[in-house]
Amino acid sequence: MQNSTVASDSTGAILLVSMIRATANSIEINRDTINALNVFPVPDGDTGTNMMLTLRSVVDDIGDDASGTIGEVANRMARAALLGARGNSGLILAQFFKGLSESLGTTDGEPLLRGSSFAKSLRIAATNSYKAVPNPVEGTMLTVYRECAEVAEASAAKNGSFENVLSAVAASSLETVRRTPQLLPVLAEAEVVDSGGFGFAVMLDGALRALHGEEPEARVVEVPMPGGTKFSGSVKADFVDASEEIDWGYCTVFAIQAEDLDLDKIRAHMDQLGRSPIVDGTDVIAKVHVHMEDPGLALSAGLGYGQISNIEIANMDEQTAGWASARRGDATSPPVATLAAPEIAVVAVAAGDGLTNLIISTGLGATSVVEGGDTMNPSVADLLAAVNAAPSNKVILLPNNKNVVVAAQQVPDLTGKDVRVVPTRSVQTGVAALLAFNIDLSLDQNEKAMNEVAGEVGEGGVCQASRDVTIYGHEIKAGMTFATFDDDIVTVGRDPLFVLIKLIEERADGAEIVTVYTGEAVTPEQAETTTKSLEEKFSGFDIEVVHGGQPHYDYLIAVE
Amino acid sequence: MSIAVVTDSTSDLPVDLAEKHGISVIPLNVHIEDETFLDGVTISADEMYRQLPDSKVIPTTSAPSVGSFIELYEELAKTHDEIISIHLSSKLSMTHNSAVNAVEEMNASSTRISVVDTQQASMALGWTAVRVAEAISDGASLDEATDLAKNLSERAVFIGMVDTLTYLVRGGRIGKAQGFVGSLLRVRPILILRDGEAHPMERARNRKKGIARIKALAAEHAPLEKLAVLYTTDEADARDIANDVAEFTPDGVATVAQLGPVVGNYLGPGTLGLGLIKAESG
Repeated sequence: MQNSTVASDSTGAILLVSMIRATANSIEINRDTINALNVFPVPDGDTGTNMMLTLRSVVDDIGDDASGTIGEVANRMARAALLGARGNSGLILAQFFKGLSESLGTTDGEPLLRGSSFAKSLRIAATNSYKAVPNPVEGTMLTVYRECAEVAEASAAKNGSFENVLSAVAASSLETVRRTPQLLPVLAEAEVVDSGGFGFAVMLDGALRALHGEEPEARVVEVPMPGGTKFSGSVKADFVDASEEIDWGYCTVFAIQAEDLDLDKIRAHMDQLGRSPIVDGTDVIAKVHVHMEDPGLALSAGLGYGQISNIEIANMDEQTAGWASARRGDATSPPVATLAAPEIAVVAVAAGDGLTNLIISTGLGATSVVEGGDTMNPSVADLLAAVNAAPSNKVILLPNNKNVVVAAQQVPDLTGKDVRVVPTRSVQTGVAALLAFNIDLSLDQNEKAMNEVAGEVGEGGVCQASRDVTIYGHEIKAGMTFATFDDDIVTVGRDPLFVLIKLIEERADGAEIVTVYTGEAVTPEQAETTTKSLEEKFSGFDIEVVHGGQPHYDYLIAVE
Repeated sequence: MSIAVVTDSTSDLPVDLAEKHGISVIPLNVHIEDETFLDGVTISADEMYRQLPDSKVIPTTSAPSVGSFIELYEELAKTHDEIISIHLSSKLSMTHNSAVNAVEEMNASSTRISVVDTQQASMALGWTAVRVAEAISDGASLDEATDLAKNLSERAVFIGMVDTLTYLVRGGRIGKAQGFVGSLLRVRPILILRDGEAHPMERARNRKKGIARIKALAAEHAPLEKLAVLYTTDEADARDIANDVAEFTPDGVATVAQLGPVVGNYLGPGTLGLGLIKAESG
């Protein structure tokens, strides 16, 4: 297609559709690279995917139907882009379609796909994009749009053909992308260029090839790095580690539909509620994208303006962690629960998958587990390493085994951190103490509260003797099952469940709640039978049976 | 000069108290599937809680519209010179925003309207409205009433023990309490409304311990100016708590109030709690 202008309306519409389809293909081919460049505003490696999905919703919506005037087609595209916009980059991309819809085919009887109208659509995209975000940042897609608009306007003034303007813009966009690290320091730190800006340049490349009728119409585009260097294919390693520390919250995207929407007002509102909001649309439909800790607040705020739909919520902390872990190539870090900003960290000792999960799930702030138990006591060095690795200078240490208490008590003198040892003598007591942990209280207050609870828990276990042994002065034959409770033998028998029931009968008098942790030797079916038997047998107090997965002990119990 | 007092249905103000003090209560909306109900007017709390556990579609709530505020304000303006409108935390609902917008829309009107964001909910809000109404009948001006409402909101406390955090999570009101989500143990989270949003306070190992803890919390906040024991479905438990904590109020009475459909939608069946105002210290 070498025509300097496209005179026929229907030809223009068909051409527009084929170029937009090419932009989608172009993004698809370059998607992984675009994802790999993504560090701003959130390093979650999804810019390419988001742009692709946004374009795909436009292409799917149009299908093969290029009927109608070019203006009508552009309008349909703008609406589809807005409704289907994914992520920050998708919403900014929707501005480009909005620009096209407002500038193409607006003049009756004139050639419709002209250089000047394309320049105008880029100008509208740039202006609207700067308005769509409350704090516009240079070195992003916004800069690329703006400079493209400038180049397009200058180019259209000299030679108004659409092809001439598109060629000029496609070439200059790559140069703008190359300069983005100078404008946005975070890009320089990560040794990348802006992902969304590069994505737009990739789209222009595809559109130009489609216009020229080149095959294939989409190709791999080389990333324009500063100083002519080559993009390494991933973000710099130091940057990966640092980015994991930041609390990103939830990426919340939804559409609002109503009769008379005030976009400025919604934007100001979202800016109050969360971070990096983008709000755009028309007076009847608005698309909102905002990062916040509580996505529900954004949704309720949206409901205040009209009906909401197309809701998507993604946990960016998980995305960022996944992104960082994928880039570091590691997967095995100790399990850490990081739900709240950790004022105080907890380090607990436990053996068994169930107990480890239980402790992590019950811990608040940052809780980490050191593997260990009866036969595998962690060393002072193990405990010290976990304490030093904990993400706070205030640490509560739960030894959770009477044989680990002394080792734990060495730790405070060996580290610069303020460490308090709550001398829990069993893991079941440790769990009870963990439930008393309160993020609002000081280290002193927590230590006191957890000690109090630990002192109130009666701890017992049911275990099979592997050989003839003498425990607490009682001789027990190999193969027999015995129950201990607070350093005493309560009963001996053959069947673990029977011994457990006897133990609870004898020692849970006056209790409010008995928690039973099933060991690794107990199958899920057996655990179910145990739960049923205990619930039938006892009614004076609550009984909760949970999977502990601990070695040696068929059952551990805590009596509170 | 007369001043009208308005609050919203999330105050959970019992009807007799609202009538006694001449307080107008504007309802929020409850949306269940395609139907919209007016909180406490076209859907009762009991009805809501019967439906809640098995409703496939999560009920949602929305603020009263700007129009409904204007309608109410204009109606009150016929008989009053000024209005004080006291509302639910703006961090939990757009209600306060709707009220402010209504006042802006009515800027030509000669009625002075003062809108207060209490950062509170349920009877912590309800008592604020009651105390303001009392002060107005004792001759307080609109400015004095507004200052009093702000002072009361700072002394107001809303505590709730929920059976499960499920309702708070699915309603998007989990706030800072998200750290409580996920324990594999059946614990009863106790939450407090702080700075206008749900905040994790502590966890009771079972319901019985939780009830004991609620009583202890009433004692810890004493001396009290006003106290209500709140429930969604378990009135008997609330009455039991009320008997034991009544001694902490000046008149020896603890009001028992049911949490309404909107607040209850986020707390769920089985919730027990306190809505109180601490006595002014010094």
